[in-house]
Amino acid sequence: MLMITFASFLFVRLAPGDPVLTILNVDELSVSQEQVEQLREDMGFNKPLLVQYGHWLIAFFRLDFGSSYVTGQPVMDMILRGLPATLELTVGALVVMLVVAIPLGSLSALYRNSWVDQMSRIVSIIGAAVPSFWLGLILIDVFSVRLNWLPSMGRDGTATMILPALTLGLAISSVYVRLLRSSLLDSLNQEFIRAGRARGLSEGRIFFVHAFRHSLAPVITVFGVSLGSLIGGVVVIEVLFAYPGIGKMVVDAIRQRDYPLIQGYILIMAILVFVVNTCVDLSYRYLNPELKIKERETN
Amino acid sequence: MKRLPKKRKQSIQVGMAIIFFVAICISVLYAFVILKHDPYLTNLSGRLQSMSLLHPLGTDHLGRDVLTRLLLGGQQTIGYSLLALVAAVIIGVPFGIISGYKRGIIDRLFMRVADGFLAFPDTIVAIVLVGLLGPSISNLILAIILVKWVNYARLVRSTVLTEAQKEYILIARMNGLPARKIMTKHLFPHIIGHVFVMASLDLGKIILLISAFSYIGLGAQPPMPEWGAMLNDSRPYFESKPELMIYPGLAIVLVVLLTNMLGDYLRDRFDVKKEVQS
Amino acid sequence: MILSIEEVTIRSQNKTIVDQVSLSIREGDWYALVGQSGSGKSLLSQSIGQMLPPRLQVEGRIVFKGQDLLSMSAKEIRRVRGKKVAYIFQDYQGSFTPFRKIGQHFHEYLKVHGVTSKQKRYDQAVEALESVGLEEALFHRYPFQLSGGQLQRVAIALALLLTPDLVIADEITTALDSVSGHRVLEMLAKKQKETGCSILFITHDWRHVRRYADRLAIMKDGKIVESGGKHKILDHPHHDYTKQLIKAAPILGDGLRSGLDKERKA
Repeated sequence: MLMITFASFLFVRLAPGDPVLTILNVDELSVSQEQVEQLREDMGFNKPLLVQYGHWLIAFFRLDFGSSYVTGQPVMDMILRGLPATLELTVGALVVMLVVAIPLGSLSALYRNSWVDQMSRIVSIIGAAVPSFWLGLILIDVFSVRLNWLPSMGRDGTATMILPALTLGLAISSVYVRLLRSSLLDSLNQEFIRAGRARGLSEGRIFFVHAFRHSLAPVITVFGVSLGSLIGGVVVIEVLFAYPGIGKMVVDAIRQRDYPLIQGYILIMAILVFVVNTCVDLSYRYLNPELKIKERETN
Repeated sequence: MKRLPKKRKQSIQVGMAIIFFVAICISVLYAFVILKHDPYLTNLSGRLQSMSLLHPLGTDHLGRDVLTRLLLGGQQTIGYSLLALVAAVIIGVPFGIISGYKRGIIDRLFMRVADGFLAFPDTIVAIVLVGLLGPSISNLILAIILVKWVNYARLVRSTVLTEAQKEYILIARMNGLPARKIMTKHLFPHIIGHVFVMASLDLGKIILLISAFSYIGLGAQPPMPEWGAMLNDSRPYFESKPELMIYPGLAIVLVVLLTNMLGDYLRDRFDVKKEVQS
Repeated sequence: MILSIEEVTIRSQNKTIVDQVSLSIREGDWYALVGQSGSGKSLLSQSIGQMLPPRLQVEGRIVFKGQDLLSMSAKEIRRVRGKKVAYIFQDYQGSFTPFRKIGQHFHEYLKVHGVTSKQKRYDQAVEALESVGLEEALFHRYPFQLSGGQLQRVAIALALLLTPDLVIADEITTALDSVSGHRVLEMLAKKQKETGCSILFITHDWRHVRRYADRLAIMKDGKIVESGGKHKILDHPHHDYTKQLIKAAPILGDGLRSGLDKERKA
């Protein structure tokens, strides 16, 4: 963890472009040499690197990532303002994904090689090739430009959420439809399914109580592994829909070389990834009690 | 995976690939040999034209020929993606072989690095790098290489680990073959198939990544005719000229679809299912 | 007759796996079905409860207490499975859903077959566990925490929970070591004596046939080559294949004596 902080500190300091000039350039005023020196003094850039790092680290543990070069506001405030929007969008997309993937994946597995299965196969092959931003552009064109049903920009209540969440959710769901299908097929071939049948359990009960839960572990594994593409997807969708979350914020920050803000974003992401990975681990333990108990025994 | 009979499924894939290839050849010939448009030449009096013989797919908001830009964009996108892949493979494979075969300190060091990368999702690393070095296509490619080589090294390492236990390697060792020879003559040919399959499955993802980053302005910069960037450029004109939205998007979908099919085909051929997927 | 299989044929797309097999089991019989792997004996047993994979087709009649099981609807056969006809499989690990505790299996089983009171279900389950020599504590364990022999005994307890008329035991000792296998079979024999159920016992092990069976049938390549009372076949085999099998089987002395009197019927 300390490694990450140091790397992240170096990242800001060693970034090409003088931050002092970046700050002063924002106003588009002519900059005098005195002003530059003055600011450099204020920000402590004339001290040795390690001292700077020490200061920075103390600030970091107080969750103080400094101030944006561009707006002058504390980075933490800006992130905290954008984070709820981003989380809302992500959760919305995941809900869309579940609503699409669970029924479609289940039906494809239960009625293997039926028209539902064939259709879902074709859709997911194409879905894997469609860039999310293009899907979003098409949805915008149809639902907000031509039909004028839904807003395509900003964040203002539920209506603005629908299109971004729908786009992102659809974009990620193609993978999970096929994954759930093959995982369910694998589960339904297990011996314990036959044993359940022999005990006179109904097919519905066998599917929902026995097979479904058994199929979730691979799905969650892939979710954990592909967390990065979800985060990337969020960034793209936020830019596309001018949605004021931290993804759009970081893209703007990169364009404007606003390093403290980029740094804040990375650290927040590191924390989020850590949290999600922990949740993934915990859910494994729930899905497979063998792991839980083995761990308890070794301790 | 028993849907269509395998033969039929393959012949459909091959057929589509041939049709696509022929279509590209025809349009390349037409665009570069017959029309000879400059993809960067702006012509403000000829903006947003519709289809014509001179401009088969019309012109964009700066009066540039769309077909020429589309083809050049494809050439560059695919070229850059292949470049990133090849570089990642060239760096990753030797690392994987050495670390898997020699074990010891190199291996431990490598696993450290690899685990470090695993903690950070690809996209984050790409954002960090592009953020640090500034948005441009070459920085994006650099970021992709940096992220991907670890995956290849990982794959190769795990294959080598299982392979090194097998008898033919043990026999080669007992016969006193030097480690360098074993690695290049015995392990490498065995591994290259897996790597090839994984690379072909990655190609589509990389193309998507490049175009997505270019769309949000962190990849290819205008006036470069990258497909994602083209979509971004012409976004204000979609309402009046939706074709400008359709062509680059369709181009991405088709190319990625075909590379994915190629990847699936190779995977079936080499029959390396589980290892590559995860 | 509790069960008559009449001219049952099982086909896959291009092959006949079971060919016009008939056999009948009397009440209280321990009926052994002997044959090598691939002879179709397992599939035949699965067809009794309509348990075959959907790609296989069945013809013929399987009459159980006067009703044809093969012509039953999915709902009707579900009421027979578990309650009237119970299965015990070779794969003891696979008989249990890995993430559900032993107790949950008992609860589910009883609930599905109409025992609504939770307390009643619990009492009945504990009683069943104790009757196969297992402790109540196992109720709260997961399947992977039990040994193979324990699991197979739990499977017996489960199968006999609702006092079925017929228990189909499909190679239930094959995956166990011989001591556990012996214990499991003794337990099954004891339970049979208590409940009076019939057992269709599928095996390739002659030692078990000798010790427990009343009647037996020998299956080869989807056909029954010989059937009848145990002593008749063991002492005077007619068919060459039967002779071969008996010859090839390891002969065990009377060292391990069954604790049960197996001379109840002729």
